[in-house]
Amino acid sequence: MSLLKPFSKLPSLNTANILLVESEEQFQQSLADVLVEETAFTVNVRLAKSLPLPKENEESRPRIDLVVFIINLTSELSFQSAEASLKYLDPGYLLGKVCFMVTKARNTSVPTERLDAVRKLAAVLSCPLLFAEDQTPDGVTNARERLLSILKVSAGLVPMATALYLSNLTRCTVPPDIDQPSFD
Amino acid sequence: MDESTKRLVQRLMRRIPSKMLKITLEKWGRLTEKQQREIEAVQSKRALTEHLLSFCEKNELGVKRLTELEMIHIIDNPNQEMWYAFRLSDPEDDARSVDLMQFKEQFKSHIRELVSQVSVKIRKHTDEAVWIRIAWGDTYSCPNHLKPTYVVHNLQTPYVFVTSLTSKKKLMLSQALVLSTRYQSLKDANLSGRKLTAIRDLLMRQYQQVFPTKYPSPLTERNQTVTNPHIEREQAKPAERRLQLACEAFGVGMLPQLQSAVYKLETKLRDHTDRTMREREEPFRCVVKFASTNLLESLKNCASSGIASTPVTPLLSSIPLKGKNYFVITENGPGPSSQMS
Repeated sequence: MSLLKPFSKLPSLNTANILLVESEEQFQQSLADVLVEETAFTVNVRLAKSLPLPKENEESRPRIDLVVFIINLTSELSFQSAEASLKYLDPGYLLGKVCFMVTKARNTSVPTERLDAVRKLAAVLSCPLLFAEDQTPDGVTNARERLLSILKVSAGLVPMATALYLSNLTRCTVPPDIDQPSFD
Repeated sequence: MDESTKRLVQRLMRRIPSKMLKITLEKWGRLTEKQQREIEAVQSKRALTEHLLSFCEKNELGVKRLTELEMIHIIDNPNQEMWYAFRLSDPEDDARSVDLMQFKEQFKSHIRELVSQVSVKIRKHTDEAVWIRIAWGDTYSCPNHLKPTYVVHNLQTPYVFVTSLTSKKKLMLSQALVLSTRYQSLKDANLSGRKLTAIRDLLMRQYQQVFPTKYPSPLTERNQTVTNPHIEREQAKPAERRLQLACEAFGVGMLPQLQSAVYKLETKLRDHTDRTMREREEPFRCVVKFASTNLLESLKNCASSGIASTPVTPLLSSIPLKGKNYFVITENGPGPSSQMS
């Protein structure tokens, strides 16, 4: 089992590296295309279907500053795959270098239990949970802005801020009554 | 003009969409130029029917001519019916030398021997296919032209495509076909679909196929797009491999459009916790049906995106491999392996 470690490699100057994990490999491509357009610093994007990452890329892979799990809420498989991938992540990442991004949450066929499960997962790992619209160009740009602002901090490009500090402010919390039956 | 002819005209007009009517009537060529122009000026379906009825009466066009019109429409639009494929087997020595004239004569005489009241029309289409329209009647009634059966057969190939048919008529049709094509039997090919060209292409393998190779495939070259140096796919190799395997199983490019695949399971339930089910002598029957507007494309996408495991299970890959979309899976003696027939 090869764990992905946050500090096993040296960072390079003015560069941020982001890993997008999505089992369906659809949204990650369009997101990657807009992420690399950033001009203030260099963004390297690595795309993966699931973790663990293949060993043969170990050498060429830069230090990953942020891991994003993209979960399509309409598919149970997508959630399970993300859950299984988490095992191959070094716990050091959970100090502010992981975030979850949920797509298709507005779809009517989404069972509410699945959204609750994702929220619980994010809360247990104290990671931020972002919602994104993957169908429209506007939604993709919004998702890019959010990811870039987290990425900047976790790559150490913002003076006086650290990933751990930011995650204290942005992490997902679950309301205490999530397990109670609702009456609406 | 009698009542049944009138009903045939009305039915025909209902089936042919207004925008195609002009071309179809031109191809038919039974109306004079003046009548043709008059029909073109009319808009509503009801008025069109009235016009056609009066012209038929004037030009003395009977049922025979009207069936020609129907055939022209069906040949041009074969995708409105459900087509079932059959396979002729065990050719006799002279099966290869059957020509159109001989086939026409033989088929007509054989089917008239079997059914006293039957109307048969045979046309050769440009793409080498022979189209047969059969209106069935029984001993006491005239042929029913409202519910004809269409048969498409390419001479010198063992495949026959048939629209809806009852089992009794199937027997008669198979006998007449077998005798006139010089084969020995006609078997159900277990393939059906709404697109005639698709099921024909599938059976005759007229789609782009990919064969397994040891060497780097040409697929990678084809898919090479200009990628950004800052974007890298970690699992590019497994993804490529999945795509290759999916293409090997289902082919590339435009795949024949099938609408469904049905698996009928007649196997025993193997569940160690449930005693009653395990000890039952009878097999556990169930039917699994996959439906889509383009089934093969969907299955290929499932395999290449990793939703279905690769290499593709023989259950799915035998749809294009065997040219079937109806499978019966039975127990193969003692042991866990199952057999597909």
